[in-house]
Amino acid sequence: MTEVARDLARARAMLGIKRYHEAAGLLSRLVAAEPTDSQAWCLLAQAHLGAGRHEEAAAAANRAVSLAPEDNWPHRLASATMLRLGNIPEAVRAAGEACRLAPHQWLCHLSLAQAALAQRNLIIAGQAAANARMLAPSEPEAHVISGKVSFACGDRAAARAFQEHALALSPTHSDALNELGRIELRTSGSAQAARHFVQAARAAPEVSVYRQNVQVVVRRVVTRVIYFTSIATFAFLYVTAANHPARVVVVIGLGTVALVSGVIAAVQLRRMPPEIRPLFRTRRVMGALAVAYAPILFAVLAAAVVPDFILPAVLLTAAAAMIAVRFAANAMLR
Amino acid sequence: MEAEQSVLDSLRKAVEAMPEDVPLRTHLATMLMSAGLRDEAVRQVGAILQRDPGNAAALALLTNQQHAPGRDQGLQPPPADQPPPADQPPPQDGPASQPDQAPGHDGAPRRPGDQLDSSFDWSKAESEVSNLLPPMFVTEGTPDADDDDDPAARAFDVEQSGLRLADVAGMVEVKQRLEAAFLAPMRNPELRRLYGKSLRGGLLMYGPPGCGKTFIARAVAGELGARFMSVSFADIIDMFVGQSERNLHELFGVARRNAPCVLFLDEVDALGQKRTQLRNTPMRSAVNQLLLELDDISSSNEGVFLLAATNHPWDVDSALRRPGRFDRTLLVLPPDEPAREAVFRHHLRQRPVAGIDLARLARQTDGYSGADIAHICETAAERALLDSVRLGSPRMIGQPDLEASVGEVRPSLGPWFETARNVALFANEGGAYDDLAAYLRKRRML
Repeated sequence: MTEVARDLARARAMLGIKRYHEAAGLLSRLVAAEPTDSQAWCLLAQAHLGAGRHEEAAAAANRAVSLAPEDNWPHRLASATMLRLGNIPEAVRAAGEACRLAPHQWLCHLSLAQAALAQRNLIIAGQAAANARMLAPSEPEAHVISGKVSFACGDRAAARAFQEHALALSPTHSDALNELGRIELRTSGSAQAARHFVQAARAAPEVSVYRQNVQVVVRRVVTRVIYFTSIATFAFLYVTAANHPARVVVVIGLGTVALVSGVIAAVQLRRMPPEIRPLFRTRRVMGALAVAYAPILFAVLAAAVVPDFILPAVLLTAAAAMIAVRFAANAMLR
Repeated sequence: MEAEQSVLDSLRKAVEAMPEDVPLRTHLATMLMSAGLRDEAVRQVGAILQRDPGNAAALALLTNQQHAPGRDQGLQPPPADQPPPADQPPPQDGPASQPDQAPGHDGAPRRPGDQLDSSFDWSKAESEVSNLLPPMFVTEGTPDADDDDDPAARAFDVEQSGLRLADVAGMVEVKQRLEAAFLAPMRNPELRRLYGKSLRGGLLMYGPPGCGKTFIARAVAGELGARFMSVSFADIIDMFVGQSERNLHELFGVARRNAPCVLFLDEVDALGQKRTQLRNTPMRSAVNQLLLELDDISSSNEGVFLLAATNHPWDVDSALRRPGRFDRTLLVLPPDEPAREAVFRHHLRQRPVAGIDLARLARQTDGYSGADIAHICETAAERALLDSVRLGSPRMIGQPDLEASVGEVRPSLGPWFETARNVALFANEGGAYDDLAAYLRKRRML
């Protein structure tokens, strides 16, 4: 084995275990010594991509393309770097070129599907995803991209089936779990979605977007709970304070609404996975609720003391309550 | 020319990403030198010598630079008070050293007529650098006097550690846990037999990078009076370029032959990464081989103590953490105040400093890793150096330099704690990361 071949093997091993910075260092030395080695430039682009240095990755990929224009790998790398840099048309073009060069290579179709999906060109994305799936039915990535395309097309049942298939092939595939969470958020509800997002975060703790998704779901549930209870309480107090003629009926009715909404909220929170509990700032809950309820008390007071100004007071209260509820939800969550 | 520029840019980025990689920096310095960018090359050489004062390649580059034609004058210190006598010839351009002229202490070739410094102890100097440079000539068939009989042992560097846990400043909790979980059973074989405590399994240390895991491993070897065999990330990678399984088997064989021996697997996540993440890579079969070797160690080998360290315990294959393998874990956190003070003292020890309040610096650097503190010291030295160049006379590194550097250097542990927070929140199955979660809660990060 020559020294260059040995260094390339070392770099591949480093990339295999995600040591991108170390691989980039080794490959930078290598391309300095062997500037016409397209494989080294490709690996360097891959290392920079992994390390999040997209500009450098693009430069290395372009160099590889110029050295080996008939090889599909540099074009795929160029597409991936363009996608990260937000140059979507160029990403689609590079992936298309890779497909032209190697139509039997599933990774080329995967690249094209990803780029076309980013461009919202769902027909091309769907075709490319189907090709990838056909060429590599045992690769979870091919099913994940198919699920993403189906979800973008609004076909949630198909999207769910694709993601479940991917998870059958690779049970801890974090991207598939995350996608399934997104689908559940639109269909089954927050608790199920949160469970999938938590699983994704567990599988890949280094990816911050999964934790952000968990937080989005939890914030959504908490906001909904505070809205429900605030509106019911406001109406209840208003009717009581304003001495409404049908007071007893309204009080019973609104009391029931408040109770039911409270029960729903409790059930929703209880169904959430236990891992989300540390996300709540329990010590701040009472303070946050007090802030959320302050406008309600103000409205009740306004209604009782100055009945003529009741409408402006209600409008003001509604606006203040909206802001306060958001603030309360944020304060309660980490 | 454009290609050369892009290569240089790539190298610069790589050096920025890995400031501690001395060979890479040396390569960059060489490239810069050949591209005629001497100022930058000298800066890189300075950085190399800060990390590795005896680096022969850097010294050679510096010597070449000092005698290269057309040397840039921009970064030279101003002339000293006494100008050189006018009758002395100017330094000659050309090669760094002549075969018949020993270089002076400043790296300049000696000229005929120069007086040799009779007080200089040449034999001591030779012995000091003897392990840095290989001998100039070797005779075929003559083994190196230092070589062990075991060729594999030479490949894997078996050494005797002189460090003790007492040399590790601060970190009392870590030491206590180390004593309870690892050292006490090792030191008391009678009690161990009485209680039926087996020596199966090793200890996995984890924590943020640059916080002293490797240092502690050496201290543990010293405490046990055992030899120390450290397998680093680079060794591991080299193992997998070729016959990985055989190399791994050989590694454990060397450890057994050198018992009592602490076998330390640094960055074990590289060697034992989750097999689900190793699809289509040669590393996958190596994990299986490592499992085999670990089981072999625990069943039949006395005197081989396993220690491992990782920054990413969540990437380590769960099979490696089962009972009998790396079943005990130890969280090594960023240095506490006494430890930080010791780290400052260590890094300032050989630098010209005056009026440094170490306790104050230690208080100001809560949350910094040992590596961050080293960087602070380096930044402070750089400030003083640049000032000296500007003023024309050297000055000491003072407290203001260090405090300004503390303001400049941000703790590098943020990304690690971000991931650790996710792990403590979502992946703390079976309480595996309870100590990490407790620390994060204490620091209000959870």
